[in-house]
Amino acid sequence: MVDLSQYLPILLFLFIALGLSALFVFLPMGVSRLTGAHNPDAEKLSEYECGFPAFEDPRSQFDVRFYLIAILFIVFDLEAAFLFPWAVSLDLTGWPGWITMMIFLGELAVGLAYAWKVGALEWD
Amino acid sequence: MDYTASLYATGAEIGLSIAGLILLLVSAWTGTRYARLVTILAAAALFGAMIFSGHLMAESTAELTGDAFGGLFRADAFAGFAKILIYAATIACLVVTPKFFDARRQYRSEYPVLMLFGAVGMGMMVSAVDLLTLYIGLELSSLASYVLASFARDDMRSSEAGLKYFILGALASGILLYGMSLVYGFAGSTNYLAIRIAFADGFGTGAMFGVVFVLAGLAFKVSAVPFHMWTPDVYEGAPTPVTAFFASAPKVAAVVVLARMALDPFAGQIASWQQIVIFAALASIVVGALGAIGQNSLKRVLAYSSINNVGFILIGLAAASAAGASAMLVYLAIYVPMTIGSFAALLMLRDEDGNALETFDDIAGLVTRRPAIAWSLLLLMFSLAGIPPLFGFWGKFVVFQAAVEADMIALAAIGIAASVIGAFYYLKFVKVMFFDDRTERGIATSPAGHWAVLILAAVIVSPLGYLLTQPLGAWADRAATSLFIPV
Repeated sequence: MVDLSQYLPILLFLFIALGLSALFVFLPMGVSRLTGAHNPDAEKLSEYECGFPAFEDPRSQFDVRFYLIAILFIVFDLEAAFLFPWAVSLDLTGWPGWITMMIFLGELAVGLAYAWKVGALEWD
Repeated sequence: MDYTASLYATGAEIGLSIAGLILLLVSAWTGTRYARLVTILAAAALFGAMIFSGHLMAESTAELTGDAFGGLFRADAFAGFAKILIYAATIACLVVTPKFFDARRQYRSEYPVLMLFGAVGMGMMVSAVDLLTLYIGLELSSLASYVLASFARDDMRSSEAGLKYFILGALASGILLYGMSLVYGFAGSTNYLAIRIAFADGFGTGAMFGVVFVLAGLAFKVSAVPFHMWTPDVYEGAPTPVTAFFASAPKVAAVVVLARMALDPFAGQIASWQQIVIFAALASIVVGALGAIGQNSLKRVLAYSSINNVGFILIGLAAASAAGASAMLVYLAIYVPMTIGSFAALLMLRDEDGNALETFDDIAGLVTRRPAIAWSLLLLMFSLAGIPPLFGFWGKFVVFQAAVEADMIALAAIGIAASVIGAFYYLKFVKVMFFDDRTERGIATSPAGHWAVLILAAVIVSPLGYLLTQPLGAWADRAATSLFIPV
């Protein structure tokens, strides 16, 4: 009798592959079926534009200013989150800990200088 | 290991990081004016890092002398071999890049800076002996890659490639991270050595889930079947020099990481990962060979070709021996010039208006219009197909030899049989270039940098490459032995 349990890893591997690809295809379909009556017509399938017929391509370029500000905010927010535990454990980490954090801050400063210089922070 | 020794072991990455940060500031203050100069400086920094890695590799001993930064980073011969390949591939990609973007006036000095940061990430990946170092290196190189994929911002296909690569790459990172968390949970450590000791005499089902998830995440990164579906789309959409980069350096890094993962922390459990690697290897060879047959876009064909080649590389890993790991490294060292050469030839094929010639119809009768490119492509394609007098044959030979020595004759036989299918589309390249009627579209002259890369690649894959087998084999053996250290 062959012991099939030794092939469990490959079963898992294939399951991940199948599961992921099936998820991408069927999850959106399933969710839309479950959450609404399925009765498509031409009007429903056209994109919604407040009752007007769509008058421009939705794939237009849009302003990324808000996104940039949010990203920069996250960077410095995280920096603060790192600084608190670093500050209270500085007596344990000593000079190496201090120098490491200074290198980290230096790199962030370079990033900020870059963003500033290329005009990512200007609103207009 | 004290701090001086740690800093010395990580010297290549530190040097590249500093160069990257300085060039970032230079690019901010000078805009696009000195983009060419920034590219040259970045290539010089990579060259320095390559020399330094070679130097570290030459003096590294096979014994474990202690890892840098308390067991996070190991500069052994295995990592050294991979780093030399990665940095050399990145330099070659930098050489062929500027002309491509010049035609569209899109070249910016951020491009070489992103390549530098990507190279730092890959250097960290291949040296990582801790799951967290590995993850940080992987993310650093991936984030740079996502931006590079969508570098041609006003090109819809490039943006699509970037977005696809980002979403699937993030998913792969998530799978990898989930697997790592399971492995950490069951082994009690993120250090490779500690994981290996914890898993030495068997692990439970939970830990096996972790190992399988880690392997699935890494299979995504090396684009092995069944996690290959992003490859053709991303390779086709990304700007061609970026595709050349994706098909070479990050692939080397991911394969090497996979090998170190399988043969270091999971070395006690060969049976559980070996079947996955065997399946991925055979499936990659078959899908890579069959998928390319119906394609008309040359970039898609080369994408499938890279999937196909990953399959052969994984056969070396499946052998789970020092000979297998060494064969894998030899194959990688031959694969990189073959791939970069093919993409460099593709970059040179553009008409007088600067539009790329990217389909089989465009290269019909190429030999009468650009004989040098056609003959170089002939060498590269025959080499990719593994036809004997060319160097690509040697890579396949050592890989199959390692598999046979490890008593995996069936695996080797199926692999060899499937490689015949792949020969179809490599021969199609040659048939279209040499025997079809020429089209009337003119082909623009190519810059010297492209010629240099193409000719260098063609010389390496030509029978002259066999002069390299001795030193290449010796270095790969050294690198592979450094991976097999006793606990």
